[in-house]
This record gives sequence, C-alpha cells and structure tokens, in this order.
Amino acid sequence: MATFIKHVFVRIHSAVNSWEKSHSPCRRRGLHRDVEQDELQHTNTNCLSSYYSVFVARLAIMVMLAILIGLLTLLTWHFTKVYTRTSLNALAYGLRYELLQRPVLRMWSILNSTVEITTAQVKLSEYVVRKYSKPENQAQQVELYEVMKDVTWALFASHKALNSITIKYKNGFVQAFHRDPRDNSTYYIYNDLTNYTMAGPYDVNASSSHQGWNDQTIHSNISAIWYREPLDPDTGEKIGKQNAIPPDDLINIAGISQVPYGAPSWHVAVSKFTNSPLLSAAMPVRDAPEGSIVAVVGVTTSLYSVGQLMKELVEFHSGHIYLTSQEGWLLATSSTTPLLRNSSDGPKLMMAVDSQDPVIETGAKWLLKAYGGKPPPNHEVHIEKAKLGNQLYYIDSFFLNLKRLPMVGVLIIPRKYIMGKVDERAFKTLMILISASEMKLRAILISHLDARRKAEASSNYKSQFLANMSHELRTPMAAVESGKLVLEEAEFDMGRELEGLVDMFSVQCKNHNVEIVIDLSDDMPKVVQGDSARVVQIFANLISNSIKFTSSGYIILRGWCEDPHSCNENGNFSLDQKALWPAPKNKLIQQESPEKNSCKDKKVILWFEVDDTGCGIDPSKWESVFESFEQADPSTTRLHGGTGLGLCIVRTLVNKMGGEIRVVKKNGPGTLMQLYLLLGTPVDIPQENYKLKYADHNLKVVLALNGSMGRMILSKWLFKIGVPTWDACEWNELTHILQELFIPSRYAQSLTYECSKVESISKQEMEVSVFIIVVDIGLLNLSTDIWKEQLNFLDLFNKRAKFAWVLNHDTSNAIKMALHNRGHLMMVNEPLYKSKLIQIMEAAIKEKMISLRHGMLGGDTHEFLEIDNVHSDQESSNDSEKSEINTIQVEETRRTLSCSRYGAINNCFLELTEVCSERNKLGANETFPVVNYGDNSQERRIQYVEKAINGKKSLEGVRILLAEDTPILQRVATIMLEKMGAIVSVVGDGVQAVEALQNPLEDGMPTQTKMRDPPPYDLILMDCQMPKMDGYEATKTIRRAEMGTDLHIPIVALTAHAMSSDEAKCLEVGMDAYLTKPIDCKLMVSTILSLTKLQPKS
Amino acid sequence: MAAVAQLQRQFIEYTTSLHNEGYLDDQFTQLQKLQDESNPDFVVEVVSLYFEDSEKLLNNLATALQQKIVDYKQVDSHVHQFKGSSSSIGAQRVATVCVHFRNFCEEKNLEGCVRCLQQLKQEYILVRSKLEALFRLEQQIVQAGGQIPMME
Repeated sequence: MATFIKHVFVRIHSAVNSWEKSHSPCRRRGLHRDVEQDELQHTNTNCLSSYYSVFVARLAIMVMLAILIGLLTLLTWHFTKVYTRTSLNALAYGLRYELLQRPVLRMWSILNSTVEITTAQVKLSEYVVRKYSKPENQAQQVELYEVMKDVTWALFASHKALNSITIKYKNGFVQAFHRDPRDNSTYYIYNDLTNYTMAGPYDVNASSSHQGWNDQTIHSNISAIWYREPLDPDTGEKIGKQNAIPPDDLINIAGISQVPYGAPSWHVAVSKFTNSPLLSAAMPVRDAPEGSIVAVVGVTTSLYSVGQLMKELVEFHSGHIYLTSQEGWLLATSSTTPLLRNSSDGPKLMMAVDSQDPVIETGAKWLLKAYGGKPPPNHEVHIEKAKLGNQLYYIDSFFLNLKRLPMVGVLIIPRKYIMGKVDERAFKTLMILISASEMKLRAILISHLDARRKAEASSNYKSQFLANMSHELRTPMAAVESGKLVLEEAEFDMGRELEGLVDMFSVQCKNHNVEIVIDLSDDMPKVVQGDSARVVQIFANLISNSIKFTSSGYIILRGWCEDPHSCNENGNFSLDQKALWPAPKNKLIQQESPEKNSCKDKKVILWFEVDDTGCGIDPSKWESVFESFEQADPSTTRLHGGTGLGLCIVRTLVNKMGGEIRVVKKNGPGTLMQLYLLLGTPVDIPQENYKLKYADHNLKVVLALNGSMGRMILSKWLFKIGVPTWDACEWNELTHILQELFIPSRYAQSLTYECSKVESISKQEMEVSVFIIVVDIGLLNLSTDIWKEQLNFLDLFNKRAKFAWVLNHDTSNAIKMALHNRGHLMMVNEPLYKSKLIQIMEAAIKEKMISLRHGMLGGDTHEFLEIDNVHSDQESSNDSEKSEINTIQVEETRRTLSCSRYGAINNCFLELTEVCSERNKLGANETFPVVNYGDNSQERRIQYVEKAINGKKSLEGVRILLAEDTPILQRVATIMLEKMGAIVSVVGDGVQAVEALQNPLEDGMPTQTKMRDPPPYDLILMDCQMPKMDGYEATKTIRRAEMGTDLHIPIVALTAHAMSSDEAKCLEVGMDAYLTKPIDCKLMVSTILSLTKLQPKS
Repeated sequence: MAAVAQLQRQFIEYTTSLHNEGYLDDQFTQLQKLQDESNPDFVVEVVSLYFEDSEKLLNNLATALQQKIVDYKQVDSHVHQFKGSSSSIGAQRVATVCVHFRNFCEEKNLEGCVRCLQQLKQEYILVRSKLEALFRLEQQIVQAGGQIPMME
C-alpha cells in the first residue's frame, strides 16, 4: 500500500508540474488561493519552490482522499451487489427447490400408498386363504375365489387412484380388477377356472417351494381363455357380459418371478391401457407365517397425477419438470409429449434424452454431456447458467433415494424468468438502483412462491395434496419446539383460508363417508392480521385428527367473532362452557393497552370449534392430549397412524397467537375442540349485511343436498337473512317439493272463478322472485341411465327456476357435459358452504336482472302456460284430488306471501308432504296402471319402464329411424326392434338420416302446432361410423336444425368400440345415449324406453 | 321319429361344441331366439349377409395391404366394420382376431397386419364351414319334420 501511495504521489507531482507549466497564465485568473500565491510570487520569488511543494502536498492529499472515497464506494457497491446476488440466488433457489419438491413428494406419497394397499391386500388374502386352507371339494374352492373377489373389490373400489389389483394363485388361476383411466370403466378379469382346477387339485402342501409354477405357463398356455367383464365403477356389479380377450391384451399380472426370495418388489411398468407409466408392486401371500407362497398379489398405480401436478406447476411458472428413474427412464414430465414409445411388442419406457419435448431433450442431453456416465453424488445438480439452444436456463436436479426405486427430478427454468432483471442490470453501476431492484425482485420472487401456493389451492387435484401437506405441516415442529418460531404479520382473508382447507379435506371425508361442514358467522371480520400459514396449520391438524377418529357422521368447523368491546352473548356458545375459560377479554385489554395509540388495528377474539362425531376423548385425557408428544420422529407416527401428534404443535401455535385451546364437554358422541385466537383486524371494514342485500330480490331457495348437517346450517343461515327455504335430502323429496311449488298452478285452470285469482297472485309472485334450486349431484341415480330421465324431469322447471349443481370431485365429464348441454351452467364443487351459496345467489340475481331488462318475462310466462296445458291434458286424476291440492296451493301461497318466516314455510312443507303421501296411497289403491303425472311422474315412468321391459311388446308403436350401413346390423337391429313392436325405418348413412328428418323440420310450422304435429320419428339409432356422413356429423346437423325450436329427437349412438371412451364424444355432439355392438336387446329396449316420451294409453 | 330325435341331439351337441370352442357366443343364441314364424329364415338370412359382407371386406383388406403406401386408417375402418359385423352374429373368434388386427394397425405394423389378415381369413373360413354345417343339420331336421331345438 505504501509503495502504491508513493507511486501515486510521484505521478501526481510530475503531472502537476507539467500542468503548471502549460496552464499557468490562465490559472492566475482563477482561484483566490492562486492570487495569493501570485502575490507571494511577486514578493518572494525565492520561496517559489517551497510553495510549490506545499501546494502539491495539499493537492495530493485531496486527490488521495477522493480516491479513497471512490475505493470505499466501489467496495461497498461490490459487497452490496454480491450480497444482493447471493440473497436473490438463495430466493431463486428456494423457488426452484419448492417447485421440484412438490412432484417428488407426490411421487413419494404414491409409492407409500401403493405399498400400503399391497400390504393390505396381502393381509386380507392371507386371512381368506388360511380360512379356506384345505378346500375339500370344488365348491369350497369356488367359494374361496368368490370371497377373494369380494374382498379385493372392496379394496380396489375404495382406492380410485389404483390402476389394477391382481392375484395370481399357485394353480395358475388369476383374478384381477382393472380400471381404465381414460373413461373410468372398470373390469374384472379372470382366466378359465376349469382349465386349472380340473387339471390339478388345489393342494397347498404339495410342494413347499414355488418351483412348481412360473409365469410362463400363463402366457405360453394359449388354451387358457381369459375373460373380462365390465363392472359398475361404483358398485362393482356386473354391467355387461364377459368377453374373452386375447392374453396379450392383459394388464400386468404379478407373477412368482417378481417375488424371487419371497420379498416384496416394485418396479415401473407400462401398459397399453394408459399412456402413463405405472408403479407396480408385488408381494407374496403365504398360507402360514413363514409358510409357502400360495399366491402373488400385484398392485399397479398410475403415475399420471404426478405429471398432472407438474403441468399445473409450470402453467404458473414457465419451465419444465421431469422425473426419471436413476437410470434415466422418464416417469413423468410437465409436457404433453408421450412418455412411452410404441414398439412392436407394446409400449416401452422412454429415456429422458429421447423425449419429444425439445427443452427436456436438450436439458437431459446437457446433463448427460456435463456429467457423462458419472453423475455427481446424490444426483444433486444446481446449474445457474446452462445454455440450451439460445437461452440460458437454470437446471436443478434432486435425488429421491428410495430403497427400491431411486428417482431423479429435474427442473429446467429459463433464466430470464427469474433472474432476467438482475442480468440486465449487472452492468449498471448505481448502487441505489441495485438495492431498489433487489426489493422489487424479492417481491417478484415472493409473488411467484405465492402463485404456486394459490395454484395449488385452486386446483382440482388439491385434495391429493393432502398427504403431502400434512407431512409438510409437521416439519416445522423443530422450530416450534425450540421456541424460535416467529409469526408473520400480514393481512389475510380468514374465511377463504378456512374454506379452502375444508375444500381440501372434503374428498378425504367423502371417502370416509363423513360430512365436513364449515359454519362461519357473518360477523367474522373479512380481513385479519396474522400468520395465515400457521392459522391454516392449526386447523389442518385439528381437522385431520378429527377425520382420523371419525368413521361416520360429520365434522363441523365453526367460527365466530367476539368483539372485545361489546358484551354480546353469542348464541353458539353456551354460558357454562364459557365459565370454564379464563376471561380472554381481560387478557386482550391488558395486551392491547400499551400499544393502543401506536396501532391502527384493533384486536379481535375469534372463536372456533372443531366438532366431530368420532370416538371421542376420555375426559381424563383432555389435558394430556396436548402434551403427549412421545414419538420424536414424525415418520414413525405416520406409519402408526399417529395419535394426537399435531395437537402439541397446535397448542403451541394457538398460545403464540394469544389464544387458548381445550377439549370441552359435548352433548352426544364425539370430540368438541374449542379455541380462540387473538388477531388484529383493520378497523373500518364494513360487514356485509346479507339481509338488506337480498331483501329486494325476493329470493327463494330449494336446497336438495345429501349432507344433512351442511344443509341444516345453510338453511338456518338463509332463514336468518330472510330467504325462504325448502329442504330435500333425496330425489323423491325434491320432486314433491318442485311439483307442489310449480305445478299446482295448472290445477287452477280447471277450477272455479275464485281460485284463479289466487293462481294469478302466485304467478305474479313467481315472476318477481328469483327461484334457486340447488341440487346435489349425489341425488341423481348415476349408476344406471336413470339420471338422464331425472334431468328430463328437472327440465320442466328450468325456465322458472335457476338450477345450481353441487358436484363431486369425481363427477365425470360426461355428466358435466350433459348438464351443460341442458343449460345448467351453475355448478360448484362440494362441499357447499355460505360463500359458494352467496355466489350462486348473486349469479341468479344477475341473470334475472338481465332477463328482466330484456323483457323476457312475458315470453317465459307464455311458455309456462304451454307446458301447463300439456300436462292438464294428460291429467287423469279425479276431481277430489284436484281440489285437495288446490286448497293446499291456496294456503301455501297465502303463507308465502304473508310471512316469509322459515318456520311457517317448513310447517307448510310438512303438510304438503303429508298430502302427497296421501295421494300416493290413493294411487296405489287403484287397480289400473296409474298414469297421473300429478304427483311423481318420475317414479311412475320408472315403474312403467320396468313393467314394459317385462312385457313382450314394450316398444309398441314407437317409431324408430335406424341409421346403419352394415346390412347385418340393419337386419338384426330391425328384427329386434320389430319384435318389441316398434316401427322401424332404415337408412344407410348420415346424409339419409338427416334427410329423413328434414322435411317435417323445415315445414315452417307455426310454433303452436309443434306439439300437435310431432316429428316423424320418436327416436334415432345412429351408427357412429358410416359412409358419406358419420353419426357424429349427422347428429350435429340434426341438433343444429333443431336449434330455436322446442324439438329434441332422442339420438342413441351405436358403436363397435370395445372401450366406451367414445361416450364423451357422443354426448358432446348431442347424442342422448350410447349402445355398443353387439346390441344387447334388453339394454337397447330400456334405453329407448327411457328416452321416448311415454304416453301410455290406459 | 327316432331319426329326428337323433338329429336334434346332434344339433344340440354341435351347437354346444361351437360355443365351447369359442366359434360362437351368446349373440348367436340371441339371433336364434329372434327367429320366429314371421321371420322363419332370419338366422340364415343374416348369416348369408354376413358371408357376403365378410368376403367383400377381406378382399378390400387384401387390396389395401398390398398398396405401396398402406392407408392404415382405411384398413382400420375395414377391420372395425368386420369386428362389428362379426360380433353382431356372434362369430367370437373372428372378432378377437379383429381386436389384434386393430392394434397392429394402430402401430402401423405391416407385418403384423398381414399376419392378422391371414389369421382372419382362416378364422372366417372356419366359422363359415361350421355355420354351413349347422344349417345343413337344421335343414335335415326340418325335412325330417322335426322342430329345431332352442338353445338356452
């Protein structure tokens, strides 16, 4: 440093000298100091040289100072920049890590559940096999197989993610269940039992080793006939006849070779039935502990959901994710390119370097090139600047070291996506900019992380995150225990967080047959201050505990607010319970007082309850459940199911938020957890007053929901805000309500003067009110085709009310499509709770307003009348019934008008149901077939259909157009239909089919005559594949022609597809039902009957 | 009369064997049930239609597979049609081969397709001769003045 300064000094000195020489004239005019020096020059030129040196020294010091300051600045800038980069890199790394961690965790949970299911199946099998250990005759052996089939089905049906379960017995017999993920069709597969049992008697003791049997016998034994029978995916009932299938169409059957030393094994397999790789596990079944192997159980699970999750993740964050085995075989990717390649002997796994996705391919090649055959230890790679093509990418890979299936996850993100701004500004020197941009970038990255969380919350698959989530929730245990936990303080919407949580748990609850309900009072503040993640963690732990111990009934999460400054008695909270608690209010005021002035927010006490109908907790343990934390390692707890593990964390967190939690006494079985939290809330956020908001709209709601608790809570709330409500828990109840609400008006037409006045009032009322009918999809009979008929019935009311559907997580697209096609556009996922209902009501109000503005009302009423007329014609019930109904109608109208009190309406409804059942009895007493559409046409029609199927000529007089090109099928179908009494016309292609309908359609009939002059056919049977114009096109054309009219001719598709994956396509183009070839006569008849309007002649 | 009974027994045995060997399935029984006084020759009629149709399809398939550039879509649609008609008369083994055939079609595996066509021809000829034999038996029963027994 010293020499450097010396050097600088010398340089400056000489520079100053030369500068002095050349610039001295002008310098004179300059500085004051120079003038002084000038004077000195004049007075004492002899001292000139000494002055020079003084001047130079001063100057040098100044320059040095300047340089020092400059250096300091540079250093500070450098370190800041380095620090900024490090912290940004850390954040970016965090984001990348989180992105990749999700799919890896998902994979992990799939592995876990597959092994669990396999173990369960083995245990069950062993139990059954040992029970029938020595079958003496064939009957007993068949019984064994029957029992095994039932047991296996139970397990298979309850795990929707499973692809297949197979059991291969020592004697070569195989039983298997298989689910085709493409259309959720389910099959039972088995081979020819007689071939094996006849050949060799079933004797478990014949040989203790398993050398006597091997896999080869199955596949090389051509004489073995394999059968596959379609099953109802829900009930497991056979829904079609078994078909023989060639052996190479089989699913993966686990064989003895997969359990070489009697040890379980697993590997990744492929199947032609799914385009995603499968995880396949195999385990032996022994006849006794340590005994010989009598069967092998195989379970396969699709890895489809992992890829799905990856796709969702990259939708929100650009980039690519893929997961491979250690050897590099692709297991799942975020791209839509295929994961399997076709070869002559079936699909095969694909290496990542062969992927059709260019980024994944180049990324994998890059990794291969960089590391060759020797990947870094643990496969952990974090490359910040990898050049793929023209872009820079981050490449990260993480290793999941599972004992039998090590996996590598790779994440490739364009660098510009995360660090774009940083790279851009790297050359800019201003420190301020850097620090400012650091904040900005930080914000961007944090918002990315947030987006990821939100993406998950909104996703359809979020339920499946549960396994991961609870795992994740347990990890911060160490932090909690060490007391180092710092709570975040940020505003969040408490209601939405909790509702999201309930959404998430609902699937799990549904599978456990438990109803989950959320009941938050209107006084809950919309926004609170606090640590949302930890709040969610509290409730996630409580709810998952409740689920664990509740096998039937319900779980309710209640929440309400207690304003510390008011002394309102809350209805939800009884006095004696409150006495158990130390007054939280005092605590609140104490806490609050010192910071009263500094803080704009006010603190509120939020009360919560998690109420379940589980096995309950012994009162002696009410305290200790929060303390017993014996299992240090969360993973062991996970294996053992865990007992109250989360409660320790929960109490710590609750206390940390200034609250308390305890178990309180409950009337009835189950556990009631009560807690309060002390959270800040912005002062002036006004509460919604729903009562005022909906007062003018004259809302009326029918709640037809399966879950009784959720329905009760919602109807209570609706009552509170003054909306009249009708409840129904099953289909028949709903039909009663609808008919009594809407159809009675038609009786008025045949009635005396006085009553038509009442009718007009009710009609008027109908016009100004917004009628909402909320229907649970579970009310429909989806296991048969009856649901279509049920929808037809609801169509009658479609113009007078708004339907809102509550769907399940597994509601198929075909059903959603069918609802959509019928104009049911409002759909929510279960569970239904207040905020979803508010959405529904607002949408309905909005729609009503729009239709009012467009003057649609008049037209609507007209159409109502039309429908009513039609019904009156068909009405054949006697007069006494009519008048009876009419009095009810009058009474009901009066009540609805005079008071919209919940209780009154409820009473009224009770009376109505009584009357209905009376009328049902009346109907049952009649000897001739009952044809009054008055009370329950749905039921009647079904009855009629059943009767008709049993009768011989059940299609008497039905006019059918058959569009089919193959002469054989033309003949067969025609004979079948004619035998049933139908009148059949045959056409050979789609064009002719359309023509056959067109004339009457284009006749330009006035609208009124439509009903009198119906189309020439009652139904079309349409082959899908035909020359000239195929069935899909023809259907589309017909539906287009029908547009704007009230006509809808039922079209039934005929296809030869073995898989029913085309069903969706059929429904999409507007067909109403679907039949596969060869035609099953009974099924065809029942389908036709369910679709044609039956107008039986009594 | 004994001759009729003999023929009838033979008929039943033969039909059973056809079912057991997988040549025919329930669908054929359904066709037999559809035959009555108003359609006395229904089964023969439909099956002859099937023979006509099949021979046309087999020819079409042979031609399609001999093309320089094989139009697998067209092949597939022929096989699809063949499968539909075969399963409609209950010619189960023919239908099974069609399933294989379609898989090869999907893979665009010419060799597999050609092999399948051979198999298809064989299976078709087999089922045709079996059905013809069955019809001859039927005729003999009718000529002897007997009733064709119903298969359950």
